[in-house]
Amino acid sequence: MAELVGIFAASHGPLMVRDWDKVTPEHQARLTGAFHELGRRLDAARADVVIVVSPDHWVNFFINNLPSVCIGVGEEHDGPPEPFLKAFPHRTLPGAPDLAGHILRTALAEGFEPSISHRLTLDHGFCIPLWLMKLERLPRLIPIVVNDLEPPMISIRRALDWGRLLKRAIASYPGTARVAILATGGLSHSIGEPTMGDIDEPFDHECIRLFRAGAEQPLCDYLERALTETGNGAHEVRNWVIAHGAAGSRGFEAIDYLPVPEVYVGCCFAAWQAGG
Amino acid sequence: MTDYWLSKLFFDLQTPARAAAYRADRASILKDYPLKPEVRAAVLADDVAYLARLVNPYLLRFYFSSAGMSDADFIAKLRASKADAKEAAHG
Repeated sequence: MAELVGIFAASHGPLMVRDWDKVTPEHQARLTGAFHELGRRLDAARADVVIVVSPDHWVNFFINNLPSVCIGVGEEHDGPPEPFLKAFPHRTLPGAPDLAGHILRTALAEGFEPSISHRLTLDHGFCIPLWLMKLERLPRLIPIVVNDLEPPMISIRRALDWGRLLKRAIASYPGTARVAILATGGLSHSIGEPTMGDIDEPFDHECIRLFRAGAEQPLCDYLERALTETGNGAHEVRNWVIAHGAAGSRGFEAIDYLPVPEVYVGCCFAAWQAGG
Repeated sequence: MTDYWLSKLFFDLQTPARAAAYRADRASILKDYPLKPEVRAAVLADDVAYLARLVNPYLLRFYFSSAGMSDADFIAKLRASKADAKEAAHG
C-alpha cells in the first residue's frame, strides 16, 4: 500500500513571478519564507509522488470540452506555456501512471466520473508553487485539474468527497509509494471582474478558521454561500477542500497568511496532519 | 450569456505568435471568427463593459492584457462598467 505522507496547500498567482520586482521587500520575504517552509516539509516527507490539485487557466481545456475534474495519468506532462515562466527549470515533468491509474479506477468504481488525460500541460497554477518551494528534487506528479474558473463547478461537499476518495485510493494501492498532496490556488482574489485587485480578508480569515475548526457542515455551508459573493478567484479554495477531505478534515495548520495587493491575492500557505 | 466565438478568439490569442499577429492587424485575425456584428464592433472599440458580459472573466483579462491594455486601465474600465450598470438599474 502507498502511504500518505504530507498534505499541503499554497496560493499561486502569475504576478508572483511576472511582477516579482513590484512586490514589496516585506511581502517578498514572507512569500519566500512560506514557500521555502512548504518545500522543507515536502522534502522532509520524502514523497515519491505528489498529487497536485490545481485549476486549468484555459490551457488544456476550453468551453467546447470542459471537465469538472480531470486526472493526469500519463508518464510525462508538459511544463508551463506562459511566456513569463520561460525560466521554469522543467520543460517536461514526470508523471506517476501506475498510481494515477489506480486512483482513476478507484474513482470510477466508487461512482466518480473524472475525465482522463495522458498528457497535461501544467500551467502556473501547478508550476509556480513547485518552483518557488525550491525542492531538493522534483517528485513524480499526478496532476488533478479541477474546474475552478467557469461555472458551474463541483460542490464543496463533492470536493470533500474527492479528498476522502484520494485518501482511500492511496491506502488501497497495491504498490509501494510515499505520496503527498499539494492543493494550489486561493484564497480570495478577483480576476477580470469589477472587483479585480480586491482581497477579501474576512473571507480568507473565515476559511482559515473553518479549516482549523474541522467541522465539515459549517465549512460547506459557509463556502457555498460566500463563494457567490466574493471574487471569482476564491473558487480555487475547492482544491483546499479536497486536501482537507484527504486529511479527514483534521489537523489544519496555517503556515502563513498575508494579503498581497501587488499580486491581487490573499496568500495562504498551509499543511494538514497526514494521518487524519 | 457566453459568446462561443468571442471566447474562442480570446482563447486562441493566448498563443504569443497569434497575439502578435492580432496586434499588428486585427482584421486579418478577426476574419477567422464568425462574430456577430455588434460583438465585432465592441472588440474593435475595446468596449470592456460590453465584452465582459459575454466571456469568462479570466479570458477577458488575458485578452486585454495581450492586446496591450494595462491592468490599471482595464480595472478602471471594469469598475466604470459596474457603476454604469448600477446607475442604469436605478435610472
